[in-house]
Amino acid sequence: MLTIENLEVAYFNAIQVLKGLTLSVDDSEVVALLGANGAGKTTLLKAVSGLLPLENGAIGEGRIRFQDQLINKTPPHELARAGLLHVREGRRIFTEMSVEENLISATYALTGRDAQPDFEAVYNYFPQLKDRARQTAGLLSGGELQMLAIGRALIGQPRLILLDEPSLGLAPKIVDEIFDIIARINQEQNVSILLVEQNANAAFRIAHRGYILEGGKVVLEGSVADLRRNPDIQTFYLGLGDQEDKKSFRDVKHYKRRKRWLA
Amino acid sequence: MGQFVQYLINGVISGGILALIALGIVSVFKATKVVNFAHGHLILFGAYFYFTFAVMLPEAAFMPDWVRSWEPEWLVAYRADAPSFSPKAAIASWISDVPRILLGLAGALAANALLALLIERLVMRPLLGQSTFAMILSTVGLIWVLEGSAGLIWTAEAEQVPSLGPNFPIRFELFGANLFLFSGSLFNLLIALALFAALMLVLRYTRSGVAIRATAEDQSTAYAMGINVPRVFSSAWLIASTTGAVAGAILATRTGLSPAIGLFGLSVLAVVLMGGLDSFAGVLLASMLIGVLQAMTQWKLGGEYAEIVPYVAVLIVILIRPHGFLGQEEIERI
Ligand SMILES: Nc1ncnc2c1ncn2[C@@H]1O[C@H](COP(=O)(O)OP(=O)(O)OP(=O)(O)O)[C@@H](O)[C@H]1O
Ligand SMILES: [Mg+2]
Repeated sequence: MLTIENLEVAYFNAIQVLKGLTLSVDDSEVVALLGANGAGKTTLLKAVSGLLPLENGAIGEGRIRFQDQLINKTPPHELARAGLLHVREGRRIFTEMSVEENLISATYALTGRDAQPDFEAVYNYFPQLKDRARQTAGLLSGGELQMLAIGRALIGQPRLILLDEPSLGLAPKIVDEIFDIIARINQEQNVSILLVEQNANAAFRIAHRGYILEGGKVVLEGSVADLRRNPDIQTFYLGLGDQEDKKSFRDVKHYKRRKRWLA
Repeated sequence: MGQFVQYLINGVISGGILALIALGIVSVFKATKVVNFAHGHLILFGAYFYFTFAVMLPEAAFMPDWVRSWEPEWLVAYRADAPSFSPKAAIASWISDVPRILLGLAGALAANALLALLIERLVMRPLLGQSTFAMILSTVGLIWVLEGSAGLIWTAEAEQVPSLGPNFPIRFELFGANLFLFSGSLFNLLIALALFAALMLVLRYTRSGVAIRATAEDQSTAYAMGINVPRVFSSAWLIASTTGAVAGAILATRTGLSPAIGLFGLSVLAVVLMGGLDSFAGVLLASMLIGVLQAMTQWKLGGEYAEIVPYVAVLIVILIRPHGFLGQEEIERI
């Protein structure tokens, strides 16, 4: 479905963020991508969805393939129309438009495909959105905004969804609810998902495989079962483990983490 | 009171034209985040194109006579008993002008659309994803390119062009005062308001309108959702150039052809800033206010002040509300 080989990305031709990243997502797979703040997770998703050039970023070395097509230089709207949908960090809902209009704006992803937008399918996954269809999207709660962001991707009848931190700023109960629906979407719509998260517990609940990103490179990868058993992951991501003082992964000095991964 | 209403009417009529011009600046800004300093000169080209297709072309040897002046028998009969300067005579003379007015409008719209697409493709598109500032500066450069080339292409000046609607004085009495306005001005006002309303309806109720609004709100997200954002940019330039062509034709009928139309268009930018660069409702309000304020100043203080007072008002509003009446965007950096 998606393969990324040795990807290098820099902003302003100067700030190197991804340094030879390799990753893949298979058909119908949910892949979790974890990493600390600034590791380059969002940058990776923008590279895949073609948004980098709009933010002064550029792909140097490396290849990105979607359904066996090289897409390094494909503009974003063509990727969406090919079924690669990006649900961006911070939801990026059109707040001045109604919920319904947000979904209508998403129908452009179907351009050139012989498909009709299925608004009911979205409302079936997220009944709350139906009640608020005519309401200004800016007035939705955080959870509803995230539902709408995912709903917009669904309208495009995706083959692959890039999901950037859907749990951000949401109460645990809402996170569970939304992740359950993401899992259902993965199964029922037969769509692959690349899930970027800080919340490893939530991500591991629905993912099949995972990657740990650090300093622009993959430092650890494996099945979710393997990752769960990894002591570093337990300490830094799952908040388990009995390491001395239960520091969060983010607080640990960079070099120290690096040593652990590469050891 | 009667005088007041007279100047109010004059003000609303000028306000309508300001609004039509402002419409183009706001459309381009909302979609592309570029403040188009050259919009006035796009309007100048619209005026010259209208002149070319409504005056020059009909006079060419190969054009049939009826384009220059359409005189079907029924019209001749209708005109026969009309006293000169009567509404009936004005309507008859307008009808015989209709073919060249339509040719002029169609030509001006098409030529201006082409011009805007060229500008968008050759100047704006290559700068896409770079800095918006570079794009804005290049529209400033365009002012001179357009003004210079207009001077090379058209040597005509102060030429008369046919009015878009029938033009006769309408007189009526109100509060004991005799008021009057030209039907041609009323017609122009209606066209300006109709175009404004039509665009609002398209933006509000059509799927294309949703795409344009989505792009206006968040370009890159709209792009990632499958909306062809570069095409939305072209559409915005098309809206600006075609409404600008109509504005150019109207200005040419009011004051005659002259390069001053470009500068006048540029000055409307101040009105747009007053209303809010990203707010159609705001600029409509500002246009009407400035139009009326200008007319009132003219009435009370005379013509010299009418040029200045409205812009002082604009400055004051911008000092108090940097984003204009209804603007939201962070535009200080421009
Ligand atoms: N548009 C940009 N221009 C310049 N530098 C950028 C840009 N976007 C991101 N960066 C830099 O690239 C690095 C990686 O950022 P990115 O947003 O990809 O991280 P992330 O892993 O998504 O972090 P977070 O978990 O905080 O969202 C950061 O150091 C960031 O400052
Ligand atoms: Mg991020």
